[in-house]
Amino acid sequence: MSTIRIVRIHNELLGTYGDQGNAEVLAFRGKFHGISTTIIDVSFEDQLPRNGNIFLLGGAEDAAQLLSLEALKREKTLEGAIADGAVLLAVCAGFQIIGNSFWADGQQVGGLSLLDVESSPGKKRCVGEVKAKSLILNLELSGFENHSGITTLNSGAKAFAKVSSGNGNGDGHFDGAVAGNVFGTYMHGPILARNPQLADLLLTRATGRAFSQISDPLATKYAGIARKY
Amino acid sequence: MSLALAKLVGYLSRKLLHKSGETIPGKVLLTIYPRALAVLAKGRKIVLVSGTNGKTSTTKALAQVVSQLGTTVSNKTGSNLDRASATTLMSPSQYAVLEVDELYLPKLVAETQPRVVLLLNLSRDQLHRMHEVKKVAARWKAAVDAAPDTTFVGDIDDPFIGYALTNAVKSVRVSFGGRRHGDGAVCPACGKYLKWVGSNYSCSCGLTNKNFDLERRTGSAAFRNAELANIAGAVLGAPPISFAPSFLERVIERKVSQIDCSIRLVKNPASWSEALTSVKGQNVVLILNARQVDGLDTSWLWDISFESLRGKNVAVCGERAIDMAYRLHVAGIESRLESDLPGALTHFNGADSVEVLAAYTAFFKLVSS
Repeated sequence: MSTIRIVRIHNELLGTYGDQGNAEVLAFRGKFHGISTTIIDVSFEDQLPRNGNIFLLGGAEDAAQLLSLEALKREKTLEGAIADGAVLLAVCAGFQIIGNSFWADGQQVGGLSLLDVESSPGKKRCVGEVKAKSLILNLELSGFENHSGITTLNSGAKAFAKVSSGNGNGDGHFDGAVAGNVFGTYMHGPILARNPQLADLLLTRATGRAFSQISDPLATKYAGIARKY
Repeated sequence: MSLALAKLVGYLSRKLLHKSGETIPGKVLLTIYPRALAVLAKGRKIVLVSGTNGKTSTTKALAQVVSQLGTTVSNKTGSNLDRASATTLMSPSQYAVLEVDELYLPKLVAETQPRVVLLLNLSRDQLHRMHEVKKVAARWKAAVDAAPDTTFVGDIDDPFIGYALTNAVKSVRVSFGGRRHGDGAVCPACGKYLKWVGSNYSCSCGLTNKNFDLERRTGSAAFRNAELANIAGAVLGAPPISFAPSFLERVIERKVSQIDCSIRLVKNPASWSEALTSVKGQNVVLILNARQVDGLDTSWLWDISFESLRGKNVAVCGERAIDMAYRLHVAGIESRLESDLPGALTHFNGADSVEVLAAYTAFFKLVSS
């Protein structure tokens, strides 16, 4: 396969919680696997490339979240690319954007409906460490959440992970949602930095190739440290 | 009576616990007498300083400027919650220059009715506590709107400060010729995509850094904060003081393991980015902790470009050195991972000097040792 195009969407809007690191980790893991990658930054005023292989959305404050959605709705590029099999990882505000609906600045807003979920404002802000068992990989995921949304899953979406500590979707059970190659989660960290096997999974989905285990002691050490909150 | 009890507790805290005693007396006082701030502020001229970065050093400079006018008290150690303000105000003076935490500023403005408030900047910091920059700015704006007798001095090259000052009755809006802001993609006033031309912003809603009252030449954060301190002092009639940049930089020079170390305080994406531009030499130590004031979550490390360290000799240490080492590793910059500064310095044996960037709690541990 030729170069994998990692598209970091609206980083100036959605780059406020470290999620931009997800693109770097994908490129870095790709190097280990012998895959050529390129990171394409697409700003609010740019068009999304239709031929992206992995699209990334990050967390943001309300106004930035609304602007990003507005730009994505101007074109149908993302929906088309996903229909063709591209991979999407959307974190926090990005996760809410790709659902059916969410709330921002006190109003309910229609999302991109790439995941069959609804988000609504919760009573408390969920801030802290999250541990959740991946329902796709046999893996305990870790991340950091900072949001006040409650996300409920409809029949078209499966949960991304089962929460063992922290809040995740705020439904008392799960974090995130998955449908095909579309992944949504509340976990920052960035999530792919803390859970590099998940980066490998996204690369596998994008290339159709299975990869052998990577030995990166620093990554293992980083993933394994105790984090207090 | 309340005051005497609070002072006694402070004395005991210093004597028995060897603490600075800057917080405890105020805490006791505010517990037994919640209106203490207003009462202590009465009849004196109060000046407040707040912002994400540069609060402590700018407060120190401004206190020096103001002290030319009369007796002045000020916080000394960077304690900046309401209880520290109360402790400082327990000593009598004509003037008080107080460093105030961003979230406590509205309370302090309402209760102490300050003559002057200096607003430095707002950017992402301790998000586990501040949550969102825009929300902090909105609280500041409400505080400004409710204080028509106070003069607000602010650096409006920061769009969040420009927004907070929108309806200020008395203000001095300062521009240093514009400066890009890492969190400035969205207009804080109207939520539109903020239009930047070079280093200046102007939104269709009217928010812009072009409607300044005073313009100064651009410079480092230390330079700008010195200018702002003098501008705030001038509102009270104080003559300006010429500060060396080092006076406003949180940098200390220390000999550690026979090596001259210049140790600089860093704490969030904005201050890291500023500090990284100041690194001149080849030998660098980065110290990362993740305690409450450092920010408990280290996701923000991924929002900083460490490209300027490429090709340098880098060692990392601190309680969360691994987070830094891995972040650099992914950026293709390999570092030496150690637990503490002396360990990190073993990689620079024989070097003349090493530049150290230290997270908040690590910096203060080194300063006090």
